[in-house]
Amino acid sequence: MSSTASSPLLQLEQLTAVRPGPQNRPLTVVESISCTFRHGELTALIGPSGSGKSSLIRLINRLEEPLQGRIMLEGSDIKEMPPPLLRQRIGMMLQKAYLFDGSVLDNLQMPFSYRKRPLPGPDDPDITRCLALARLTPDYLQRDARTLSGGEQQRVNLARALVSKPQVLLLDEPTSALDRPTTDSLGQTLKEVCHSEKLAVIIVTHDLRLTRRISDHLLYLEQGRLVESGSTAELFAQPKSEGLRRFLVELDDEKH
Amino acid sequence: MSDNTLIHLDLLRLVYAYALILLSISLARFRQIGQERQILWASLRMVVQLLAVGYLLQLVFTLRSPLLIIMILLTMTGFSLQIAGSRIKQKMPGFYRIMGSSILIGCGGVTFYFCLLVVGYTPWYDPRYLIPLAGMIIGNSMNSASLAAERLAAEMRERSDELETALCLGANARQASEPILRTAYKTALIPTINSMAATGIVALPGMMTGQILSGTSPMLAVRYQIAILCAITASAAITAFLILLQGYRSYFTAADQLRHPPSSP
Repeated sequence: MSSTASSPLLQLEQLTAVRPGPQNRPLTVVESISCTFRHGELTALIGPSGSGKSSLIRLINRLEEPLQGRIMLEGSDIKEMPPPLLRQRIGMMLQKAYLFDGSVLDNLQMPFSYRKRPLPGPDDPDITRCLALARLTPDYLQRDARTLSGGEQQRVNLARALVSKPQVLLLDEPTSALDRPTTDSLGQTLKEVCHSEKLAVIIVTHDLRLTRRISDHLLYLEQGRLVESGSTAELFAQPKSEGLRRFLVELDDEKH
Repeated sequence: MSDNTLIHLDLLRLVYAYALILLSISLARFRQIGQERQILWASLRMVVQLLAVGYLLQLVFTLRSPLLIIMILLTMTGFSLQIAGSRIKQKMPGFYRIMGSSILIGCGGVTFYFCLLVVGYTPWYDPRYLIPLAGMIIGNSMNSASLAAERLAAEMRERSDELETALCLGANARQASEPILRTAYKTALIPTINSMAATGIVALPGMMTGQILSGTSPMLAVRYQIAILCAITASAAITAFLILLQGYRSYFTAADQLRHPPSSP
């Protein structure tokens, strides 16, 4: 068990990505980033706005294409896999929780319908498992997904992302629209799911308090470059770069 | 044909008719609405354009070359495509290629089925039948085609969050676009469905009225009208379907990625 927990699940190798900038000139958003992610570890991606955090995770489930470099999932290049299959192994929660029209159960069934599998009923272990992981009670299944509160919607979003039993879970600012207590409890749930399911969780966030409470590792990005990485506790205690030091202080000041 | 009921309008009678325009102009002048110039200009355009079309049609009806007649139909289609394209602000990538090929297959296929099997006149390229029938089919299908293209472009942009959510859950481009394609298809066919349901009650269709005026018995004119409405519906449906089928693809890369992802903050 400990050997699988420590072998790299996901490896980014010299990733560079561009997008069309002003006057259609290519703008480098990710610049030769290399790093690894392991089973059961929660990594927070932090950095100023426009530092390439979202772009980086969008490369990992191939919503966007890198200009250079490659991404290896369990030793094979993700470009070799059909994108729909890749995205079942690398789940993602987008910043805006988009829930489809219908009940919570309808939403949880979507990944099955995309795979052309028979739709599981409310008592199916595939459904009850991810519902429990997202800390939702079974009576939610019949509720209209669109009428739920922001926090509940994100939990449905989480449950739905877990339906396909992904190995990696990407989250793009999942708590940006939530209040403090809701953020804390969702964060706690994420941490528990990450450890119990041995998932590699990568979360983009501006919330340093959340980062400190739930993440094991930290990647600090600035202008598309990976400036610093390491264990969260160590980097918070002793940031090595001037950039991270200033970033931690400035955001800390805003809180008070 | 029983042309004994057909009254020939000579030039003098046309002058009487034009007197009605002059009446409208004097009304505008009298009430100081200030619309006289517009009415006059529009009426002159109408006269010149229609006379030109009349001479052109008379010339075309003497043609016996299928190739030339097909060329005329293609030019008509090209012009109407141009007009449709200029009115649509957001065009899907590859707009003219997709619209052109869909209209060619949808309208062309239905027109030939209709002319050969339903009306069944010979020769099949007789311009007296082919040009007006094809014109009605193309004109009405163009309406549905524009609606399909416009709705597709708008929904693809407005619902990009929904599209990406579906992609993230393992949908391929087709599965992710399915709800949008359904909406766009329904929208495209609304005018056709409405005109079928309302015909005969809300308005008497132009072709039927024209046939009756030119001496055709109402029952025969009605049969023609039923047949042409069936053809228009099928052609609109096939054209819209082909546009959406090709159109949604142009929004995705081969790796099931949105070409223009939702703008990140």
